[in-house]
Amino acid sequence: MIVIDSLVKRHGARTVLDRVSFEARPGHVTAFLGANGAGKSSTLRILLGLDRAHAGTALIDGQPYRTLRHPSRTVGAMLDGSGAHRSRTARNHLAWVAAAGGIPRRRIGEVLEQVGLTDAARRRVSGFSLGMAQRLGLAAALLGEPDTLVLDEPVNGLDPDGIRWIRTVLRSHADAGGTVLLSSHLMGEVEGLADRLVVIAQGKVVATGTVDEITGAHANLEDAFFALTGRPDATVGGGR
Amino acid sequence: MRLLRALAVEFGKAATLPAVWIGVAVTVLGTAAVTLLNAVQTARAVRAGTPERYGTPSISETAYAAAPLGTVGAVVIGVVVVSSEYAANSPDAGGGRQIATSCLAVPMRLHAVVAKAVVVLVFVLGTALLAFPACLGISRLALGDVAVLEPPGSSALFTRALGSAVYWTLMGLLATGISLVCRSGVVPLIVLIVNSSVVSVSLLLTNLTPLAHWLPDMAGRNLFGFDADSVVPGGLDVVPGGVVMAAWSVVALVAGAIAFLRRDA
Repeated sequence: MIVIDSLVKRHGARTVLDRVSFEARPGHVTAFLGANGAGKSSTLRILLGLDRAHAGTALIDGQPYRTLRHPSRTVGAMLDGSGAHRSRTARNHLAWVAAAGGIPRRRIGEVLEQVGLTDAARRRVSGFSLGMAQRLGLAAALLGEPDTLVLDEPVNGLDPDGIRWIRTVLRSHADAGGTVLLSSHLMGEVEGLADRLVVIAQGKVVATGTVDEITGAHANLEDAFFALTGRPDATVGGGR
Repeated sequence: MRLLRALAVEFGKAATLPAVWIGVAVTVLGTAAVTLLNAVQTARAVRAGTPERYGTPSISETAYAAAPLGTVGAVVIGVVVVSSEYAANSPDAGGGRQIATSCLAVPMRLHAVVAKAVVVLVFVLGTALLAFPACLGISRLALGDVAVLEPPGSSALFTRALGSAVYWTLMGLLATGISLVCRSGVVPLIVLIVNSSVVSVSLLLTNLTPLAHWLPDMAGRNLFGFDADSVVPGGLDVVPGGVVMAAWSVVALVAGAIAFLRRDA
């Protein structure tokens, strides 16, 4: 369970996040939608203890990320790309991440297999395509078999096979009772995958609800999205 | 327990980072090569009857003359354990830096800094353990029959290795601290490597003000144990100089840790 409550983040005079609040529940795939620069990554980075908020809280199972006893076995996170140094091999990257979480080494081979990188395990990350980098990032997130997954633009750069595959992974994770929070700036990606949507524009949550609730009277989700984000003051489907 | 885990993580990262091994190789091979050159020329001068050109063919003197150069590798190690965290991947591969993964894996940032410092310490001391026996061996072999052995009971062989290893380690830790503040390796690499190899800016500064003798590299220079008549006069003695240099390293690490703890990753 992820609970984000009244997050405020400023960069100098600019307010990046303005009282952002929402929840991501177990058993659901929650999609965090917004244009680039709307505040998605800032919110996720605060949730994961990377950045500090000026006000508000972001809790995972009732605790801030930094105080989790076994962070990588509680939350699997993926931010930009692989998150690996380019001169390291995929296997060596996962090896130190596993060591940090006290995760058995056999999981390295398992996740590499799961994300389809077994053949690239001993290749340096510098030679990876965007799709491979995303897969390695996801492998690191899955390493500790966490209940909660937090993924920033996970579909970015994946080929159609990869997109289909990641949808299956995330759906089955939620169906098994896990919590999935993913961000995206593409409507088509999340339609049909997400159970609940949180729409953010210019640092404010403008709508939350199911795909149907958000689509509402609009022809489709994309129209609804532009209507919502074009006018940051719009309030639809329980938006704030 | 968590600190031990952070240590295991940082050792794992350093051991699988090619740049760290380049640092080790630069120091071991660099000092060995200079020692070989030094020993061959000294032996030649002695045999030609002009020993004054290269000084006495002492095994330790010939070997340890290369020690200051080994600082370069120590600086590389000290820098790259930090700068590798901030090196961005190409935009074609999604960009991103390892630092995010590191902070997710080890959320206690103080543990990460302490672990990095310990890794630098161990890798630099390990490098010294390889470099000095190699230099002494090369010096002994290349000087051949003209080699002057240490007088019995002399501890110079050991103390100079120790002093040089301490200098390298403190310089490596200084580099780590500066890199943490800069979040990049460019500035510390350029400043510290140029200063310890090409031209010593701090040495030039001693001409302007005696305060320059308190800069880290000048303060610690007597740790190398050169004869007083073969180095620039003035400055701090071995022990006070070493303490001043250590203080610089500690200040740099504390500043780096504060920056790392306070800033967004």
